[in-house]
Amino acid sequence: MKKQALEILRRIPKVDYADVRVVEKESEYIATKDGVVEALESSKSLGFGVRVLTNGSWGFAGSNNFSKIGIEKTARKAVLIAQTSSKYKSCDVRLTPLKAVKADYKTPVKEDPFKVPMESKINLLIAADNAQRVSDKIVISQTSFSANKETKTFVSSIGSEIVQEILWTGAGIEASASDGSDFQNRSYPNSHGGQFATRGFELVREMDLIGNAPRIAGEAVSLLTAPICPTAEFDLILDSNQLALQIHESCGHATELDRVLGYEASYAGTSFLTPEKLGKFKYGSKIVNLTADATISGGLGTFGYDDEGVPAQKVYLVKDGIFVDYQTSRETVEELKKIVPKYKAGSNGTMRAVGWGYIPLIRMTNVNLEPGAWKMQDLISDTKRGILMSTNKSWSIDDKRLNFQFGTEIAWEIKNGKKARIFKNPTYQGMTPKFWGSCDAICGRDEWVVWGTPNCGKGQPSQVMYTGHGASPARFRKVKVGVVKKW
Amino acid sequence: MVTENKLKKIAKEVLRISKVAESEVLLLVGEHGLTRFANNQIHQNVAWEDVGISVRIINNKKIGVASGNSFKQTDLNNVVERASQLSKLQKEDPNYICLPEAKKIDRIKESVYDSKPEERAEAVDIIIRKAKDNNIIASGAFDSSTTEIAVANSRGVWAYHAASSSDLSTIILGADSTGFASKLGRKPEQINAEEVANKAIQKVLEGKNPQEVKPSEWDVILEPQAVNEMMTFFSWLGPNPRIYFEQASNLSGKVGKKIFGSNITIIDDPLNKSTFQMPFDFEGYPKKRLEIVKNGILKSLVYDSYYANKYKKENSGHALPAPNTNGPMPFHLVIAPGKKSLDEMIKNVKKGLLVTRLWYVRVLNPRSLNITGMTRDGTFIIRNGEIIGAAKNLRFNQSIPEALNNVVEIGRDLELLSSFETEIGTNRMPSLHIKNWNFTSGTEF
Repeated sequence: MKKQALEILRRIPKVDYADVRVVEKESEYIATKDGVVEALESSKSLGFGVRVLTNGSWGFAGSNNFSKIGIEKTARKAVLIAQTSSKYKSCDVRLTPLKAVKADYKTPVKEDPFKVPMESKINLLIAADNAQRVSDKIVISQTSFSANKETKTFVSSIGSEIVQEILWTGAGIEASASDGSDFQNRSYPNSHGGQFATRGFELVREMDLIGNAPRIAGEAVSLLTAPICPTAEFDLILDSNQLALQIHESCGHATELDRVLGYEASYAGTSFLTPEKLGKFKYGSKIVNLTADATISGGLGTFGYDDEGVPAQKVYLVKDGIFVDYQTSRETVEELKKIVPKYKAGSNGTMRAVGWGYIPLIRMTNVNLEPGAWKMQDLISDTKRGILMSTNKSWSIDDKRLNFQFGTEIAWEIKNGKKARIFKNPTYQGMTPKFWGSCDAICGRDEWVVWGTPNCGKGQPSQVMYTGHGASPARFRKVKVGVVKKW
Repeated sequence: MVTENKLKKIAKEVLRISKVAESEVLLLVGEHGLTRFANNQIHQNVAWEDVGISVRIINNKKIGVASGNSFKQTDLNNVVERASQLSKLQKEDPNYICLPEAKKIDRIKESVYDSKPEERAEAVDIIIRKAKDNNIIASGAFDSSTTEIAVANSRGVWAYHAASSSDLSTIILGADSTGFASKLGRKPEQINAEEVANKAIQKVLEGKNPQEVKPSEWDVILEPQAVNEMMTFFSWLGPNPRIYFEQASNLSGKVGKKIFGSNITIIDDPLNKSTFQMPFDFEGYPKKRLEIVKNGILKSLVYDSYYANKYKKENSGHALPAPNTNGPMPFHLVIAPGKKSLDEMIKNVKKGLLVTRLWYVRVLNPRSLNITGMTRDGTFIIRNGEIIGAAKNLRFNQSIPEALNNVVEIGRDLELLSSFETEIGTNRMPSLHIKNWNFTSGTEF
C-alpha cells in the first residue's frame, strides 16, 4: 500500500504541498433484538485521497479508482480545485513547519475481534439478549457489537511515510420496559451502543454483558414506577459515562481551533472560547484539568500520528481551571499566531478524516477530565441533598457551546450522604463556564474510565468520527435539575 | 456515471454467483463536489467519487449482508462470499417472509449534471461579495452531486434511477447576529446565489442587538427550515411500524384516531414534480403518494417488505438499505399548505417569536415524541403583527404532537428542504404558527 501511495504522490502535478492517504476499512456489525439477530453485516472499503496546497489554497479529491487513469484524473482534479479556490482567496493558507516522519503504528490488541468465530460472537449476544427477559414488562431486548479496522498509509511531499493499523471494538446491551403507558430504557455499559475502545475482543469479554443484563433490565422495570426527577437546584454527581459526553460537548468541541476561527460556522457552529481568552479565561474551578491525549492506551481517540503526519500528543486544554490551549492543526496554529503572537506551539496533532474520501478536520482525540482524589462512596457520603445521574439519554448544546441540556437514563436521590430512591426522566441544564466552575470534587484514577464516543458528527460533508473521553465521577454544586416538566 | 446497462450487468452477475434462492443487490454510484467557505473565502473545496455494492443473501430465513466499494469481478465474488458465509452463520429470523416481488416502476427521467468547481466558486463569490459590501462575514457550503442507484433481486426486481442535486446554504455572521438561508435544486443553475445571500444578510441586519426574552410558553412562527428540523424527527419516530408495534411510539395504537389538529395533513409524496422524485425504495419496490395524517387523523404507517409481511400490511415502498435496525421511514414529507403568506401570518401574531431554524434537536423521550433544541441564526420578536427586534437564542423542550395540535395557521408557500440529513429525499414544508411553544432557558447570544 505504501508503494501505491508513493506512486500516487509522484503523479501529482507540481504543487507547494501534497499528501496522499490510502485507506482500507473493514468492519463487522452484529445487532440482536428480542433474541433474533437483526443485523449481520460485513463491510469493506478501499480508496485514496489527494490533498494539495497550491497558490495558497487547498484542493482535495478522493477516488476508489486505482487505475493509472483514475489516479491521474483524481490528482488533476485536486489541483484544479485548489487553483479554482485560489482565484477567490483573500489570504494564503500557511502550514506550520513539521519534520518528516517514517514510522509504523499498530493498535495493540490481545484478541483480534475479526478472528473470534462469528458463531461465538452471535451466541454471546443472543445470550445477553435473552438474559434481559427478567420480567414480562421487558418489551424489547437488544444487543450490538462492532469491530472496525482501518489501515491507512500516509505519504506527503515533505517526505513522511506513515503506515497505521487502527483497530477498535465496541459492544453493549439495552433493555426497554413498558407498562402500557410509560416506556423506559436502560443500557450497559453505556448508551448509544455501549463501550468502544481501540482494543480487541478482550474488551467485550471484560464487559460481562450476560452477567449484567438482568440487573440492567431490572432497573428499566423499576423506572416504570419510579417518581419523575424533581425540579430544583441540586448538588449533581455525574457518573463517568455521562460526564464523558458533558466533556465532549462543552469542552471538546469548544476547544477545536477550526470552530473558533469560524471554519465550521456554516454547520456545527463556532465557540465561546475566543482567542483573547487563551491563558486567561476561568473555564472551571481550580480542580478542573482537561486534556487532549491521543496516547492513552485503549482510548477510542488513540493513534500514532494524525492525518497530517503529526505525532500523537497529550496537551492541557484547561489547567487548574484556566483555559490554556486549543486542539490544533498545521494550518490553524499559523492563523492563531496572527491573533495571539505569543502562541509558539506547533500543531498538537488532532487532524483526522473519517475515510479516504474526506479531508482531515480537527477532531477530538481523547479529551479527558483528569482524575482527582475522591472515592465515589465518600463523594456520596459528603453530599447532603443531591442527585446522581448515570448513562446519557438526550443531549443538546447551542452552537457556541454554552447552553447545554442533558438527560440520563436513571438518577438516584442522595439524601444525607446516602444513595436513596431512583428517579426517572432526569435532566439538567446549565451554561458551560458556570457549570465547570461549580465542580468541587472529582473521583480518582481507580474510577477513571476512558469512554468511547463513536458517533461525533462534524464538517460538510458530514464526518462521523470516533473519539474518547476519560472521566471519573464528579460533583457539581447547585445545578438546575428536572428542567423538562412534561413527559 | 456507470450507466444503467453496466449496472444491470453487474447486478445480474452478482445474482448469478450468489447461487441461493433469495438474494438482493443494491448498487450505488456517486460523484460529489463540495465547496465550503468561511471568513469570506473558500477554505475547503473537495471532490470524491465512489461506488457501493451491498448484497443481502437469505438462506432459509437466515440473513447475511456484506458490502464493498468495487465492481471488479474478484470483489463481486468476495462480497457475495462474505454475505453467504454470514447467512450460514446466522440464526433464523422467524418474522422474515420474503423479498419483494417485481412491480411496475414508473420511470422518472432526470437529466444528470456534472458540476464544476468553478460554477460553485462563482456562486460562493456572489455571497462573499455581498457580505463584504455589508461589512459582515459569510460562511457556507455549495454541495453538488450525481447519484445512481440500482436494486435487483432474485424475484425479478430491477430498479434504476439517476439524478443530480445541488444545495447552497449560507450562515452570515454579523457582530452580534447571524442569518441563515439555503436553496436546493437539481442543477447549480437552478440556484440563485444572490437571493440566498440577500435572505441571510437581511436576517443578520434585522437581527442586530438581540434582546434577552423570558423563556416561557410563546406563540411562535416556525419558518419552513425550522418546521423541517422538527418533522425529520416525526419521520423517524412517527409512522414507523418498528417502534409503533413495540409500543415505543407516541402514535402506538392510534391508526384511525385523531392525533393532531384538524388542520394538519401530512403526506409522503415521492413522485411529485416539485420534490426530488424517487420512484422506488432501497428494495426496489415502487413508491407512491401516501397520506400519513389526514385532517389530524393518523391514516397509515409506512412499510417495507419485512414489516409489511410481519404485520400483514401493504408494502408502501419505504425500505432503507439492509440491514436496517431503524425501521422504514418516509423521506418526502409534505405538510399540506394553508393560504397565508409569511407576512400575513406575522400580522396575526399579537405577541410571539419568529424562528428561522432549530439547532441540535434531540429526542428527550420517543414515547411522548418530545424534543429539545435551540433556536439559531435569526430569532425575532413579534408584537401586534410586526417584527420589532431580535431575540437572543432560546432552548425549547417541546412535544411534537402537542405542537401539531396547537397550529393556529399554516403558510401557503412550501419550501423544498433536505430530509433527515441523509440527502435521500426532500421534504416540502410550510411555515407554521404554533401557540404555547415551550421555551425553558436562554443563551448569551
